[in-house]
Amino acid sequence: MAPDDDGRWQGAECVVKGEPILRVTNIEVLYHEVILALKGVSLAVPPDGVVALLGANGAGKSTTLKAISGLLKHENGKVAQGTIEFLGERIDRRSAEEIARLGIIQVIEGRRVFEHLTVEQNLRVGAHQAGNGAHLRRGLELVYHYFPRLKDLRQVAAGYVSGGEQQMTVIGRALVAGPRLLLLDEPSMGLAPLLIHEIFAILARLNQVERIPILLVEQNAKLALAAARYAYVLENGRVVMDGPSETLRENPDVRDFYLGLTDLGTRKSFRAVKHYKRRKRWVT
Amino acid sequence: MEIFLELVLTGIMVGSIYALVALGWTLIYKCSGVLNLAMGELTLLGAYVCLAFYTWGFPFPAALGATLIIGFLLGLLTERLFLRRMIGEPVLSVVMVTVGLSFFFRAVVGFLWGTDTRVFDPPVFPREPFRLGQMVFGQVYLWSFVAAVVLLVVFVAFFERTRWGLAMKATADDEMAALSLGVSAKRVYALAWAIAFMAAGVGGTLLGNINGLNISVGTLGILVLPAVVLGGLNSIPGAIVGGIAIGVLQNLSGGYLERFTAGGVKEIAPFVFMVILLLFRPYGLWGWVKIERV
Repeated sequence: MAPDDDGRWQGAECVVKGEPILRVTNIEVLYHEVILALKGVSLAVPPDGVVALLGANGAGKSTTLKAISGLLKHENGKVAQGTIEFLGERIDRRSAEEIARLGIIQVIEGRRVFEHLTVEQNLRVGAHQAGNGAHLRRGLELVYHYFPRLKDLRQVAAGYVSGGEQQMTVIGRALVAGPRLLLLDEPSMGLAPLLIHEIFAILARLNQVERIPILLVEQNAKLALAAARYAYVLENGRVVMDGPSETLRENPDVRDFYLGLTDLGTRKSFRAVKHYKRRKRWVT
Repeated sequence: MEIFLELVLTGIMVGSIYALVALGWTLIYKCSGVLNLAMGELTLLGAYVCLAFYTWGFPFPAALGATLIIGFLLGLLTERLFLRRMIGEPVLSVVMVTVGLSFFFRAVVGFLWGTDTRVFDPPVFPREPFRLGQMVFGQVYLWSFVAAVVLLVVFVAFFERTRWGLAMKATADDEMAALSLGVSAKRVYALAWAIAFMAAGVGGTLLGNINGLNISVGTLGILVLPAVVLGGLNSIPGAIVGGIAIGVLQNLSGGYLERFTAGGVKEIAPFVFMVILLLFRPYGLWGWVKIERV
């Protein structure tokens, strides 16, 4: 496997065999018809793979996910250029509801539980499209198997459970929907390290055992590169780099900007990182 | 003492009708954030639809059933024609659309049925009063109460038990999250309007049975505003309790204060109450305070 002329890696299909189930080709996203949020993003998700999107705040990670799931249309945004294909079908013009029915379920950022519903009611909303029968029972069983803690909390209003449990609830809710592709937006945000570890372990099992492909957006680059087999780095609405996780982990720029490591592989001293900023602030 | 009890009980019975209408109002507000100022006219329209079926010879329950069906369809239609295109527009514009709707419906009623007071003829409910100890009530109140309570139970069961009920509650909580799971917000809005029309139609019919039917039933319908303000704008139990409380308040003020004035206390009292309540409890009794974990 080698980078192409521009120094980019070929799409994810070279890492995992098989046609990608999701292929995003060169999309541009406009908000309110003027603000250009994505300027040509391309990516691919292989069947049963985990792919990560890295990047700083405002790089366009969440926008990319919303473009795929169709939620963009409800924020006055649209895919102005390029195509998004899921299992060979073009979906960039479809509504969020149709895309969800195809099996692309997005877990949106910020643990957005239905706070006045109980945990179990939250999960039941996940089965909205599939119906309340056998599908729901199987879905609930699956969720309680992976997140046993939710079983004890099922009668509690979701607004009152802890942050980690809310994150589990929203992931569980998406599971009940029977996803063929799970889009996860910042599952680690605002959680204790131990919980993050727990949730990522469960995600890995979901991917391996239930064979659910995952497209993961994560600010914590170390975590994301550990979880994913392939990653794309977004900056300012563009993919600036992509490659298998191991390759990216060794890349000096990624190490410097996203992992905070020096060439020697030791953690950079906080003082060294901050140095020039501090001088700038105090001397001028 | 008997008089007091009688006033309170009658108030509860009338209040249950307000509760029904208030539930419809709250539902729209909760799901789509639209402040619907046409609720009074929805009750008016529903009442006339039922009257039309009744005068064509339908038995009353069948006429009521037909009103529910027509209400459901009209609700879907209204949402589709007038409100769907307002999704995403500023709140005030949407409110103005509902004001426009209220004029429109009022005019439609005037055009189709005229402005004279009409009554359900022959009377739907027997005229003989119903006695409870020393107290006397009109049967119309009792049966209205029964009908309103039955419908309230049906609606609440719908929210608690069914897939679409749950989807509506979920959308009310977090629309984006509901969308991400494939819940269609547009269908939820449409359903909210359909249910509001149904509730208002039955409420209007029952009110029309009590006082006879003319344009003023629409002003009775607007009593939902103090009711929902009392309950908290987006609480369904709040709307029900609020409706009943307004009924009682109205009856008590009518019974005790009317003799000191030239009349009209009954109509004004709920609104005076609303203003006072807004001063001290702007969220009403059960209005949503966002759940904050500390």
